[in-house]
Amino acid sequence: MLGSFGVGKTSLVRRYVESIYDDVYHTTVGVKIDKRSLQVDGTDVTLVLWDLYGEDEFQKMRWSYLRGSSGYLLVADGTRRASLEKALALEQKVREEVGKIPFILVINKSDLIQEWELDPTLEAQFIAKEWSILRCSAKNGENVEEAFVQLTRKILA
Amino acid sequence: MADTPKTRVPLEPADDSSANGTGSLDELRHLILAPEQEALERLHHRVANPEARTEDVSSVVAEAIQRRRDQGGDSALSDALAPTIESALRESVRKDPATLADALFPVMGPAIRRSILETLRSFLESFNQIMDQSLSWQGLKWRIEGLRTGRSFTEVVLLHSLVFRVEQVFLIHKKTGLSLGHAAAPSVAMQDPSLVSGMLSAIQDFVRDSFHGQSGQGIERMNVGDLDVWVENGPYAILATVIRGVAPRALRDRMAEVLENIHREYSEQLDRFNGDAAPFVTVNRELSRCLELQYKEEPKRKGNGYVWAAAGLLLLLLGGWIGWRQWHFYRWSQLAETLREQPGLVITSLARERGRFVMRGMRDPLAADPGQFVKAAGLDAAKAEFHLSSYYALDDAIVQQRAVAVLAPPNGVSLAVNEGVLHVSGEPPVEWAKNARERALLLPGIRVVDFGKFGPEQMGFERAKKDLQGVVIKFQIASAALSGEQRAKLKALLPNLKQVLNAPVELHGNPVIEVVGHSDSTGAEATNQTLSQRRADRVAWEILQFGIADKNVKAAGVATTEPLRSEDTEENRQYNRSVTFRLTAAQP
Repeated sequence: MLGSFGVGKTSLVRRYVESIYDDVYHTTVGVKIDKRSLQVDGTDVTLVLWDLYGEDEFQKMRWSYLRGSSGYLLVADGTRRASLEKALALEQKVREEVGKIPFILVINKSDLIQEWELDPTLEAQFIAKEWSILRCSAKNGENVEEAFVQLTRKILA
Repeated sequence: MADTPKTRVPLEPADDSSANGTGSLDELRHLILAPEQEALERLHHRVANPEARTEDVSSVVAEAIQRRRDQGGDSALSDALAPTIESALRESVRKDPATLADALFPVMGPAIRRSILETLRSFLESFNQIMDQSLSWQGLKWRIEGLRTGRSFTEVVLLHSLVFRVEQVFLIHKKTGLSLGHAAAPSVAMQDPSLVSGMLSAIQDFVRDSFHGQSGQGIERMNVGDLDVWVENGPYAILATVIRGVAPRALRDRMAEVLENIHREYSEQLDRFNGDAAPFVTVNRELSRCLELQYKEEPKRKGNGYVWAAAGLLLLLLGGWIGWRQWHFYRWSQLAETLREQPGLVITSLARERGRFVMRGMRDPLAADPGQFVKAAGLDAAKAEFHLSSYYALDDAIVQQRAVAVLAPPNGVSLAVNEGVLHVSGEPPVEWAKNARERALLLPGIRVVDFGKFGPEQMGFERAKKDLQGVVIKFQIASAALSGEQRAKLKALLPNLKQVLNAPVELHGNPVIEVVGHSDSTGAEATNQTLSQRRADRVAWEILQFGIADKNVKAAGVATTEPLRSEDTEENRQYNRSVTFRLTAAQP
């Protein structure tokens, strides 16, 4: 799980793995690893989810964590434009550090759609890059499962 | 292949100064040998040109080596190539050790580690055998614990003597951090291998990034409480073991060996790993080789032998002391039994109190003194204490003693008691007999007094009768006169006469004292008859003077018909010149 701080990476993982959601925010320190098995197009897959901390002034991203990963969810917060811009930067960085690996851009907090700061410019950039984009909400579970399934499908492809 | 000339170079004309024969000869040579010369020229070019020569050799060198090997020339080939290969290896190591290290990683050190493994295995097996066959007290205790808790004996031994145990082994793909295999010891709570592998990889990456570790380096050991996590890094995979206790260095070598084997057997799969761990399903067998354990060895207790000897001696002494006490008590018990058998003694209890043997019971005053039995038994009289109450025993012996003591039988009279009957034997005086008869019945244990054939009353009559009939009044030859001595003798008969005559009529009827006169054989029988009659009459008259009624006296002479003795001596004849008495019952 990759993304700026506070975008909901951990919430998405908890929603997906444990089907729970907590409004209280606790910043992730280091990395937390979870696991979940699913079946995609008839194939049994076990996802080992690395929930990385969001880069901020206290923690810098350790790109070594991405080495060996099969794919990632690039998570952004729809209510914070800066996180969307950060997503662009992160994807670039990943390509530089690790290489081109499958990913899905997940714009979280669709339950707060009325507060979203996603402007057409940014959206156009995403489209231009032919990114797979999914709007989801860890709070109500919208498209959370779909995000991981799509990512898995991309990895298996 | 080297370039070969395609055209024949015409021969240059010879120098005109040469003789015409030489030029012709050269031309002739050229015409005849041109092809061969050209071929030689080409061969020379190929040999002299390093590039051409290399090209030729390279095309055949592999085949040549193969053919040489097929011909059985390996030894020579090896000898020839060895220096070059060694040199090449050295150069390779000098330039880039990692390349050779990666290539040799799967096979490094297997022989050395194998010997260590075999030693450890044989040690474990021998220890297991010893433990299995151990009959030591601790071994038996552990067996009982195993039966009680349902655990195997080996498991109980491990719990008590474990030094270390490898609980889990993880094989992790180095690049992706995914789990390739996992092995766990029995009854160990397992964590999800995927999560553990991922976290271990993350931690490794963190440490490497944070502390600028070199590529290939990583954490080798982590410690959490009594758990140690050892990590062995390989080129493509990481081996991590979770150890409880303190493991020896040999385990690290074992891990290295296992990792080497895995890299060797699964090198291709490791290189092409895409997240699918299916090709590594059999790797757990290899991982299980790391599930080692070691137990404590009991420290040799110095001086155990002395302790045991001392304990044994102490036990021996204790046993001896107890045995002696028991034997001592047995002797006193035997004494008590002996005393119980004595008439007049009743022992109810025997106990050891305050270092003494105390006997309680009852004793008849006439019973034997228990103290004498203590001495007779060879026991210490000072250790004996008797608490005996007085009582009257009814044992025959005691009753007899009591009868003798109380009745005081005269000489010639004996008393015997048998089952409550006092038997009086001998010739007791009538008065004593009468007295004894009354008093004896008052004695405990005597219910009947038995005087034999005659009671006291009849006893007197019979005794008087016997005495009377035993008296012999002697006379001189042909005389019927009583001497003073004989008269006194007659007078002494008076009590007997009275007793005889005064006996109860119902017992003896009316007795008659028959005075019988005798004579010896001297003289005629008629004379003797008269003489014997006169003697009888004389004595009868004398008796009547005592106040005896004449109806109770009868005189009769028997002459020599009833001699008292045979007349072989004068003394005997004198006995026949006598008067005797006979008591008869008168006709009512």
